Amino acid sequence: MTTESWARLSSDAFNLALFAYIAAMVVSFAYLAFRKERLHTVATVIGVLGLVANGVSIVSRGIAAGRTPWGNMYEYSSLITFLVVLGYLWVIEARAKVRTVGGFVYAMAVLTMAMAVSFFYVGPTALMPALNSYWRQIHVTAMITASSLLGIGCLLTIVYLIKAPAERRALERMQATVPPPIMGGSGVETSDPDAPPDYAGSADDPVGSAATSRKIGLPPSATLDALAYKFIRFGFPVWTFGVICGAIWAQQTWGRYWGWDPKETWSFITWVIFAGYLHARATAGWKGTRAAMVALVGFVSLLITYYAVNLWIAGLHSYAT
Amino acid sequence: MSGPVASAPSSLRKSVALVWRTLRSMRTAIILLLMLAAAAVVGSLIPQIPNSPQRVAAYQLAHPFWAKVYQAAGFFDVFGSWWFALITTLLFVSLVACLIPRSRALVRAARAKPIHARELDAFPAFAEQQVALPPEAAAAGAAKVLRRRHYRVELDAGGGSVAAEKGALREIGSLAFHWAFLLLLIAVIVGKGTGYVGHATIVEGYGWTDAQFNYDGDLRTGRFFGGNFSGTQILLQDFQDDFRTSGIPMDFRSELTLAAPDGSTEQADVRINHPVVFNGIRIFQFGFGWAPIVQVKRGERTLFDGPVVLGQTTPPGGNPLAQPWTGFVKLTTLRPQIAIAVRLYPDATAYFRSLATGVPQPMIEANAPFMEYEVWRGKLLDNSLSTLDTRFMHHTSSGLIGKGWTVDATRGCVISGTSGAIPASLGNVTCPNGGGPATVSMSFPDLRQYTTLQISHDATVPWVLAAAILIVLGLLPALYVSRRKVWVRARPDGTGSVVQVGGFALQRKDRFDEEFASLVQDVIAAAGGAVRRESQEVSP
Repeated sequence: MTTESWARLSSDAFNLALFAYIAAMVVSFAYLAFRKERLHTVATVIGVLGLVANGVSIVSRGIAAGRTPWGNMYEYSSLITFLVVLGYLWVIEARAKVRTVGGFVYAMAVLTMAMAVSFFYVGPTALMPALNSYWRQIHVTAMITASSLLGIGCLLTIVYLIKAPAERRALERMQATVPPPIMGGSGVETSDPDAPPDYAGSADDPVGSAATSRKIGLPPSATLDALAYKFIRFGFPVWTFGVICGAIWAQQTWGRYWGWDPKETWSFITWVIFAGYLHARATAGWKGTRAAMVALVGFVSLLITYYAVNLWIAGLHSYAT
Repeated sequence: MSGPVASAPSSLRKSVALVWRTLRSMRTAIILLLMLAAAAVVGSLIPQIPNSPQRVAAYQLAHPFWAKVYQAAGFFDVFGSWWFALITTLLFVSLVACLIPRSRALVRAARAKPIHARELDAFPAFAEQQVALPPEAAAAGAAKVLRRRHYRVELDAGGGSVAAEKGALREIGSLAFHWAFLLLLIAVIVGKGTGYVGHATIVEGYGWTDAQFNYDGDLRTGRFFGGNFSGTQILLQDFQDDFRTSGIPMDFRSELTLAAPDGSTEQADVRINHPVVFNGIRIFQFGFGWAPIVQVKRGERTLFDGPVVLGQTTPPGGNPLAQPWTGFVKLTTLRPQIAIAVRLYPDATAYFRSLATGVPQPMIEANAPFMEYEVWRGKLLDNSLSTLDTRFMHHTSSGLIGKGWTVDATRGCVISGTSGAIPASLGNVTCPNGGGPATVSMSFPDLRQYTTLQISHDATVPWVLAAAILIVLGLLPALYVSRRKVWVRARPDGTGSVVQVGGFALQRKDRFDEEFASLVQDVIAAAGGAVRRESQEVSP
């Protein structure tokens, strides 16, 4: 096959993946609303199909460009979408058996891909020499992986922030109408980030969360929080590693490991906020909603680091166009 | 009288203790972290003097009032401002205040042995079983099982008691991670404080010495730098650039001969992404450009002979390769003073093709290069090589000069030299009677390239790297190792014993139940296996 036909295959597969994710998003939200088992099966099949198409698009682009296919914003976006959907299908759906948040994940995938096509599309070309270093491979791979992991974690936190107050309200209603159920009193205050934070009632209490969860449709807030933490806890060290690799690369290329270039500054800001999140989870009084708010701020910072710096703030990382 | 004297220090002590407690609290640390993030946001949104001084200047012109406010607040240099330093310092004080007691506790815990427990049935995970072996052997067996599972084990065989714990690496990792930040901060401050960074422009065939006044003017030295430049001599043998036809730069290479004051020399190629370290300085490829060799004479007297380093200004959206290069020769010794502004077109063929087609053609390689020149007479206001202030000067003549030509700059005509690439219509008029003794002649014997190298000295880069590695190495166990505590007690029961196993997990409690069940099975097996009371009674 020629370079052109590989490039065409890559674009076609990209479009196929985009449409598959849109369909999977719609069907997943339908499943959340109607809880028909068949809808879930259909969503999963379409999602896997989209994932395969997404993977084909990335590989064929790499062949067309004759290098690893993560050299510009378009390619990063494609890879992030792939990793986010993969992480969702593998960890959230297959391993944690949480099935109702798929619509949100696919929505994120669709937005990322749509942004990539509308703002960042460039043909498969060779790289500038400044981007040509094996530290690029390591740095970029780490940053993309970390962005995907933190992105999923923050998405789950957003769902948690929707779910937790609804749960609390439902619990209050229940307490008002029926004699108070025996709450599995979470008397033990631990300063342990792994411990389920104090939700409305208690995470260990099946009465409150199970009853409300069926009504609202989303998974119990304890599950959401634990999953979000899992992803962010994985993403944070990878982000740290990626930033350090970036510093090593900058030392080689620009002669200084840190120069407060906008991209550097924002990756630092994002790092600091997620460090704050991890500390908040380990602190009494910050667990639960407040820690989730910190993660939400982290998500905004992540988006700025990824998009805004390239689009609006001038700096050395201006490889967007 | 003793009352106030006694109470004053105690209230002082109380308030110091309060401040210390507040600093140590995680809440303070989180708030300081978020403040640090907010400060960095300001630094990324407002142009910074160290990163983009031109944008700061443009902002000052456009918004004089806000510029004054920002200037006063230090917003134009956030990362060098007193309040950024204050937040960082407070964060690190809070960090150290938190780390010292934790480190001492860790050392204490590492020295102490796990403590035996009595009421094992009070622990969240608990199991009890009759086993075949007597207490002493059962406890020893349990200890062996726990050691195999990487627990730290304290065995009291006589008492039939085992205390075990694991996961100390979590706290070790967490402390290493946090201490590493202190190391990072110190290394950065020392490195930047005692270091310097600047740019050197060297023309092919010429040399450069690492000393204060040879830098391009943007030299930045650290606060504690004593002025000891390395004295390294750099000779540029050759500069190579490699562009694709599309104009995408693929590679730049400066071939250097380096010499240290102690006499050691080295041949080195500096390329993008491939800096060279020599004699304590790091040399990076930073930029490049054209430098025509120009000779200016009045009669037989040489006024100027050397390379003229040219620069480029590219209009927004323009292709820099299609733009001419500009620079100045300033003759300060003449009265009136003379300035010659030159505009170089490195590739005449490409340039005239762009004129003909209206499509800018990239001028990648030197191909019949020529310059347009303008001669100004009057009073020079500065010695800058990149700008010319013509307020006290008047324009006298202009013309073209090709490589290898000599021109009469005062009259704007050619004394010698021709080029097939330059159309004759473009005013390369031959001087009617050669050059007279009063004329200022200019020749352009050669076109060379220059390289701009970034020169930096930072002694603590390895320390910064070590701290960064420690940060990652500490972070992993801090986030992923889980602490567990387990106790085993064996009491005599007939010929065998009753074994109790109790324990709890401090992290990842959801996984502990499974772990604990498998641990209990192993402990029972090591204690001779489960025995049922009934079967014991029946057996002979």
